[in-house]
Amino acid sequence: MRKPDSLTLLLFVRNWGIIILFALLWATFSLWGFPIFGTFTNFSVILQGAAISTIFAAAIAMGVFSGALDLSVPGAAALSAVVLTKCLLSGVPMWLSIVAAVIASILVGLFNAFFTLRGINPLAVTIGTLSVTSGAAALITTGPPLYGFEPMDWLATNLYFGLPAMFYVAAAIYIVATIFLTQTRGGGRFMASGGNSEALRRSGVNANLYKVLGFVLSSALAGVAGIVTAAYTTQGNPAADTGALFTGLTAVALSGISLAGGRGSLPKVMVGALVIAEINSILNIKNIQPFWGVVITGLLLIGALYLELTIQKQVSKRVVESKNKERQESAIAADAAANAKNQEA
Amino acid sequence: MASNSDYALSLEGIDLYYGYVRALNNINLNVRAGECVALLGDNGAGKSTLLKVISGAHRPSQGVLKVHGKALEFNSPKDAANAGIEMVYQDLALVDAQDTATNLLLGREILRPGLLGLLGFLDRKAMKEEAKREVAQLGVKIDTLTRPVEMLSGGQRQGVALARSAVRIAKRAEGILLLDEPTAALGYEQKVMVEQLIKRMAANNIAVVLVTHDLPLAFSTADRMVVLNRSKKVADVETKNTNNDEIVGWITGARPAMDNM
Repeated sequence: MRKPDSLTLLLFVRNWGIIILFALLWATFSLWGFPIFGTFTNFSVILQGAAISTIFAAAIAMGVFSGALDLSVPGAAALSAVVLTKCLLSGVPMWLSIVAAVIASILVGLFNAFFTLRGINPLAVTIGTLSVTSGAAALITTGPPLYGFEPMDWLATNLYFGLPAMFYVAAAIYIVATIFLTQTRGGGRFMASGGNSEALRRSGVNANLYKVLGFVLSSALAGVAGIVTAAYTTQGNPAADTGALFTGLTAVALSGISLAGGRGSLPKVMVGALVIAEINSILNIKNIQPFWGVVITGLLLIGALYLELTIQKQVSKRVVESKNKERQESAIAADAAANAKNQEA
Repeated sequence: MASNSDYALSLEGIDLYYGYVRALNNINLNVRAGECVALLGDNGAGKSTLLKVISGAHRPSQGVLKVHGKALEFNSPKDAANAGIEMVYQDLALVDAQDTATNLLLGREILRPGLLGLLGFLDRKAMKEEAKREVAQLGVKIDTLTRPVEMLSGGQRQGVALARSAVRIAKRAEGILLLDEPTAALGYEQKVMVEQLIKRMAANNIAVVLVTHDLPLAFSTADRMVVLNRSKKVADVETKNTNNDEIVGWITGARPAMDNM
């Protein structure tokens, strides 16, 4: 028998690894990037740089939690940004333009859900949708990005209490979504549908409803990311930002879950996105080519999933061991019971 | 002789074809409320298929299925569930990442009182209490209700799945419980627990159909034994009027079928 401690350690790594990684990187980079990295100004810059990618990460996380990796997220974001800017340029009021952009992205989610529920592989559906949405966005702008709309700094770079507005948007999304997932009936069923939708169905719950919700939440959050991106870059760009997909997916993987669905914690996803932002910040400060950031993001994605797989294997091995032990013990107990009976007789 | 309407569940002349294969051949089966019937047979004899017909997963090619004397047609397991038929599958269908209380109360979660409840906020404390109460009532042993079920042993997982169906069926006056190999992966203590659970369900006037390979379990819980062999019913006998050798004979086909099957 192996020491039970190694399993505890592995589970500890899975549960807290991302937070430890964040702290370790922070300490290391503070020394390496002294005196710039550790300052509050740099922290604010990191938050600003990470805000949009954390919203993207939330969008992808919602898909993954519900059991479907939604690859159309950058497309929904581009479509939403273009709808927003087109509306603004046509003289539609700000609030209505934002509502229109969000509705456009929700429609994308419903589109994904419709075809996935018909039985087509969600990866194929969402990658098709990625193409459809970015094409549709380019059709709306007739190609190039849209410029010259009413400035939206209040949603992007304006500082409130020293932190950029985008940070508050991301924080609000994470707080509301975390409360939904962990405290409400809908959130519990949402996670259950990702984990085992058959169990939900057999419990008399309409499991498909929660699959639809997964796609809709994913796309709606992508839409918000698109709106904030438009506000930050002051343009409505129809090109889908697939880089955001990789960063978001890596943040989800770093949070210590497989991409199988049904488990995960949003706050950890946010820390995952911050880890990537930390790395990009230090590369910037040390004047290292930013392409290293792209390489590292990819390696982190694969590395995190590999670690998760290893831990998962160890855990199931341990559960099987305990089952075998249970069986052995039961055989002994059955013998004892039989003996007792014989003695009685 | 009891009239048909006295039976909780009644199958008349059920046939089922898989393509050219006749998986069920003219099966008649009656189960009274409060009676436990063991459905026995070798692999491929058709007992799981028959269970799937009763649970609404398969539509019979021919024959009538009656619940409390009323002929019904099931298009899905949900229809069967609405008619008061609960099935505990071998694959359990648990949400691995969530704890016992959540799994047990899936679909009937307890909300907080007041405004938060209207917003759908869960009352986790009340859910834990309720789960504890239900589990204790059924005599299921589970170490901790707050551990994800993936961390539980096989026996405890089976306990959670059984408890979930048992609670749901106990809420109905005249339920029918279908069990597919409930002791397949269990240790001794857990087997005893399942045995007692089945007896308790039957004592509560629930009709139980038990598919199993575990003959000692069948003898200790069932009032009646039904044996299938190569898609046909070959025996239907009161447990007290038969013995292990006879049953094994029917299962293997060494013993000729009873009359009037």
